[in-house]
Amino acid sequence: MKVTVVSRSGREVVKGGIELSDSATVADLQEAIHKRTKKYPSRQRLTLPVQPGSKERPVVLNYKKSLKDYTIGNSETLTVVFKDLGPQVSYRTLFFCEYLGPLLLYPVFYYLPVYQYFGYKGERVIHPVQTYALYYWCFHYAKRILETFFVHCFSHATSPLSNVFRNCAYYWTFGSYIAYYVNHPLYTPVNDLQMKIGFGFGILCQISNFYCHIILKNLRSPGGEGGYQIPRGFLFNIVTCANYTTEIYQWLGFNIATQTVAGYIFLVVATFIMTNWALAKHRRLKKLFDGKEGRPRYPRRWVILPPFL
Amino acid sequence: MAGFFSLLRRLYLSLYNWTVLFGWCQVLYFVLKTLNESGHQYVYNAAEKPLLYAQTAAVLEILHGLVGLVRSPVTATLPQISSRLFLVWGILWSFPETRSHVLVTSLLISWSITEIIRYSFFGFKETFGFTPSWLLWLRYSSFLVLYPTGISSEVGLIYIALPFIKASEKYCIRMPNKLNSSFDYFYAAIVAMGIYVPGSPHLYTYMLAQRKKALSKSKRE
Repeated sequence: MKVTVVSRSGREVVKGGIELSDSATVADLQEAIHKRTKKYPSRQRLTLPVQPGSKERPVVLNYKKSLKDYTIGNSETLTVVFKDLGPQVSYRTLFFCEYLGPLLLYPVFYYLPVYQYFGYKGERVIHPVQTYALYYWCFHYAKRILETFFVHCFSHATSPLSNVFRNCAYYWTFGSYIAYYVNHPLYTPVNDLQMKIGFGFGILCQISNFYCHIILKNLRSPGGEGGYQIPRGFLFNIVTCANYTTEIYQWLGFNIATQTVAGYIFLVVATFIMTNWALAKHRRLKKLFDGKEGRPRYPRRWVILPPFL
Repeated sequence: MAGFFSLLRRLYLSLYNWTVLFGWCQVLYFVLKTLNESGHQYVYNAAEKPLLYAQTAAVLEILHGLVGLVRSPVTATLPQISSRLFLVWGILWSFPETRSHVLVTSLLISWSITEIIRYSFFGFKETFGFTPSWLLWLRYSSFLVLYPTGISSEVGLIYIALPFIKASEKYCIRMPNKLNSSFDYFYAAIVAMGIYVPGSPHLYTYMLAQRKKALSKSKRE
């Protein structure tokens, strides 16, 4: 089988095309392109050509499928459009980098005399709540890193390198911002009861969040295939994205205990981001599981934040 | 029913555009009159009232974009109007020491000419459904001169205000407090100046693209 590889502007990417066996898969094609262009498979986006002026969305080739699936009739030739997605990193790498920052930066504000450089001389009195906040915070991000390596399943997809910088900027900046205020020499602690309620509620939510991630992981186990399934069990029976719900509430607990504007700003931003993700997922699941043609109907559930949404 | 709302929309937008146009005409008139009679030190005092009203009224344009009354993207209007409101209320209104500076004159002249052209353009469009070609050309050409002078004046005035901002404790929140928060207006102003560095070229290139699009379209017609 002869495959012609062109760019979106029509330029030939691989001179003379690529000759492959009739049983070759898309993955084989990607390896062949890699040999000829140095662009490794995960940064290749291969689609079928679309008619000029057509509004139709191009068909993206699935690496698991046979090339034969994309040919018309018994044709011995195939043309694909190649797009370079740029440097890619695995999601594991992405998550590790973004979570490592907050884990390391927060203790800097607690342990080291950084406030001298902000004009605060003299001894810094440490309140118990600040110590517990340190433990809570480090537990949270350590948990996330451990989940990244031992709980979460990642698909074949990768993430652009630019997302590493964007996500790290987000997590590291907010981490430092919150750390600055919680550990500040002029920090005003809340009363003991409020602290206990906040941290207690927060820990409960962190543990629930972990259990939600276990449920999501087990959702993928049978067959190991991708595809969407209706999450069931625990809070998923009530909320579509119970993992996001527990994430939001655990930050709420942290904020109740520590009470900083920085923390609440982070909570609002995180809630906004996760709500968008949750709405998209909820919409997708309702569309996929519409109760027609033998498919189960998606049950009525909150999206992310009962009783509001 | 749809026709009625369409008519109502045009009526409202016409009223809005001509009213704000009148405000900016007043600003320019008072600036030039005072320059002629007294000198640049008194320009702000003369033009203050119409300036505050006209510039603050621009907030409505963000709402117009949000509710879909006009098609301009909020991402374009929001930064520009925000920076102007910051100048008018956050610098000039808050720190009287800045008002006598000559940059106020260049600022107000740049702004008022730009806005007179812009609101005339929109006023014609909403009221009569068309705009004269000379007004279209002015709309998409005057910024070439007026944006640099306007932006330079804005940055200059923020810079001039910095020592006064630092000396006063205006708009500062200090710890300790129950919310465990702090805010320093001095450093916020420096950050605002910093935003002009990527912001200005972006706005300028955006306007150049608009110019190319609008004038080439008018040639085709």
